[in-house]
Amino acid sequence: MVEKWRLLDTGLNDAFYNMALDEAIAIARSRNIVPNTIRFFRWEPSAVSIGYFQSMEEEVDIEACRRLGIDYVRRRTGGGAVYHDRDGELTYSIVVSEDHPLVSRDFQKTYENLCSGLIKGLRLLGVPAEFRPINDIVVGGRKISGNAQTRGMNVVHQHGTILRDVNPTIMFTVLKVPSEKIRDKMIKSVEERVTSINRYLGREVSFEELRGALISGFEEAFGIELIPGKVEDFEERLAISLKREKYSTREWNFRR
Amino acid sequence: MFRAEYKVEGGKLIKVQVSKRGEKIDFVRITGDFFMHPEELIEDLEKALVGCPLDEKVIAEAIRCFVRDKGVVLLGVSPEDFARCIIRAVSHSG
Repeated sequence: MVEKWRLLDTGLNDAFYNMALDEAIAIARSRNIVPNTIRFFRWEPSAVSIGYFQSMEEEVDIEACRRLGIDYVRRRTGGGAVYHDRDGELTYSIVVSEDHPLVSRDFQKTYENLCSGLIKGLRLLGVPAEFRPINDIVVGGRKISGNAQTRGMNVVHQHGTILRDVNPTIMFTVLKVPSEKIRDKMIKSVEERVTSINRYLGREVSFEELRGALISGFEEAFGIELIPGKVEDFEERLAISLKREKYSTREWNFRR
Repeated sequence: MFRAEYKVEGGKLIKVQVSKRGEKIDFVRITGDFFMHPEELIEDLEKALVGCPLDEKVIAEAIRCFVRDKGVVLLGVSPEDFARCIIRAVSHSG
């Protein structure tokens, strides 16, 4: 019997709900209310997320975000600031019990194990992706996916981005740069260090096609079957309250 | 308040804000794109460093002790990197 995991596709939501639902799923998993889960999601409006240890004021141009209608949120995971473009990025999260064989005591090894599903999916699309420690997936040395992980309550939660398309100009409008003079230089440097699926393949890959490939990739790499499911009432209620009481608050987002 | 940034080779970026009283840490805030587990212990670590002499080796040892005692896992940074960044902040600013 092949192991069955839940597949969620929660579509477009705002940054605060997106981060709240990830935490709600992790809590639901820790209480055994839901099975191991892979979730796909997108951001509307586009948003910036920062790592747990980052300072919102140091990393994000709040004024530019307000002007462009872009949300900003602190994640429950470490790592760097990320611009999540509504039309450019597919985001995923994995919530898995800590006693699963994919989970090692070694965090680095666990990144590699969980990223293997994404790598397999990207290869199915014709993108020769590879893992690059600590937490990136690259193609031809250029980053195409960034990932971040946390664990607690006997559950591992990893989420990350897959770039379908990339727009460094907006990215460096909303992320702070050391000075205006080097903004153009940084945009150029991102163009050299980062790539996207569309750019690599030289064609437009739809979100549906990308998601389909990643689902097959996870199934093959993890030896699981992904069963389309729904967000349980417990998770939905908890997500709404975590959005209101945590992820949308100034206290959380500006705590560092 | 003194500030510094330190890019770990092949790793992450650490930023610190530190103030001193005499030659000891009075306040320190460590931010950056690194990973530390469990995450919420960062504030305890910052508090644990208050009163620590501004000596790179002593700070690194204090962080190593904290990491060992609390079962903390660092990824992309080391106690020595944090200590180096703190010392860099106070020495650059005189």
